[in-house]
Amino acid sequence: MQRALRLDDVGRRYTIRGPWVLRGIDLTINAGELIRVEGTNGTGKSTLLRLLARTEAPTEGRVSGRPRTAYVPERFPSALPFTPVGYLTHLGTVHGLTRAAAARAADDWLTRFGAAPYARTPMTQLSKGSSQKVAVAQALLAEPELLVLDEAWTGLDTEARGELERAVAERTAAGGAVVFVDHDPSRLAGVPDATYRVHDGTLNRRTEQVTSPVGPYVVVEVQGPPDRRPPTAPHTRAEEPTPGTYRLTVPASHSDVLLRDLLTARPPWHVLSVIRADTPHIPHDQEDHR
Amino acid sequence: MTALLRYQAALLARSQRWLPPFILYAAFLGVGVQGGQPVLDSLGYAAAALLPVAAWLVRICVTGEPPAAGHCVAAAVGPGRAHLARLLVAWGASAALGAVATVVVTWISDPASSDHQTRVPPLQAAVAGLLAALACALLGTAVGALTTWPLLRSTGRAVPALLLAALLALVVSGSPAQAAVSGLVTGSRSGTVDFPLLPLAGAALLAAAATATACALTSRRSP
Repeated sequence: MQRALRLDDVGRRYTIRGPWVLRGIDLTINAGELIRVEGTNGTGKSTLLRLLARTEAPTEGRVSGRPRTAYVPERFPSALPFTPVGYLTHLGTVHGLTRAAAARAADDWLTRFGAAPYARTPMTQLSKGSSQKVAVAQALLAEPELLVLDEAWTGLDTEARGELERAVAERTAAGGAVVFVDHDPSRLAGVPDATYRVHDGTLNRRTEQVTSPVGPYVVVEVQGPPDRRPPTAPHTRAEEPTPGTYRLTVPASHSDVLLRDLLTARPPWHVLSVIRADTPHIPHDQEDHR
Repeated sequence: MTALLRYQAALLARSQRWLPPFILYAAFLGVGVQGGQPVLDSLGYAAAALLPVAAWLVRICVTGEPPAAGHCVAAAVGPGRAHLARLLVAWGASAALGAVATVVVTWISDPASSDHQTRVPPLQAAVAGLLAALACALLGTAVGALTTWPLLRSTGRAVPALLLAALLALVVSGSPAQAAVSGLVTGSRSGTVDFPLLPLAGAALLAAAATATACALTSRRSP
């Protein structure tokens, strides 16, 4: 399993006699997993993420597995002598794309994050939020097997935040692993496969399950031939109000992934309606009117 | 690796932080080299002046990339390779500078020994000068690699260490740079051209060792 990343009894400290920032960490990240890491400031979350991105080596213990990794730092500098397109093309080729593919991917991702208008403005003139979009695009354009996001949402505008959540959903649906830290507890709520808490230099898996994640949701009604189940995308709740018609409730971040699955299935499903909802459950008295 | 080198080279070229060392080197040569002087003396001077410039260029390449941007690249290719690219680009820049200086100095100098009595073949002198310049660029790169991140982090310690190490590399007998430069200057007295192959090999060995040390430490030290 080359693509899985494994930490065995990993510890990290920055000076020979200094305090341990992290110690006794055991963690496996498999392909397709979405992992959330929590913890108060200064507990070593960023250090853990850098160990996962393998930009730092552990002081003790072992890190094994080498997925193609991309990393989004907490604060991305705008002091780079490039334009966003120029920088992203360079980074795309560093990630192994050809120059043409890298330039195309750079344009696509900048457009997705609403950064196309300043794609050719020197990065030194960009605002903090705008350069954060470049940082995020840098990590996404090469479709990494492991995506490490260190508070990547901080500084992004609302549309870009939603886009990044959708991009994370796409990445995991495509079999990539994503590890993220974010201060907002509602970030991708209910979606992570596991949540870990860094506390006193150790890592604990949070066991209390967040059963009903807080919205927003997308409700998709689809029709297909009888006795055929719709594709069960992760985090999708399926109901069958009438035979052959399914009502699928999915976190808003994963709606595009679900729709793509439905429409590219063979034979494709027929989409009757797509409605945004703030709560997962639609009250019964309203159900009949739909 | 090609993409990585292209990225680092673009970072150096576009940042314009290469300008001060290039100007300093031009000033060194402007003061120390005049037209009509014995070619081997001038080439020795040009090669020696390249060493601190090469060390400075390494410092520029290593500190010029913001740490966060460095992490993005390191996640993709590994921190060791990312650092290797920085050092290679710095060495390439100083080697190119040394090559240009060698051509210019050979062109304007008098192809003769120190007492202007014996003729020195200019092409052979240029080759010897180029080899000496490469040796000094390599040793300067080694000095730069060992006196910046990840070995030394604080500027207050790194810059004096760089200057002192560069000076020592030029004057301590047994240093490849000192051997290469004094080989040219000694040859100038008698009008004989010695190719400084042994010093070049020694400098290459030291540069490789310094590069390996620095790259191996990148993932151990904090950013």
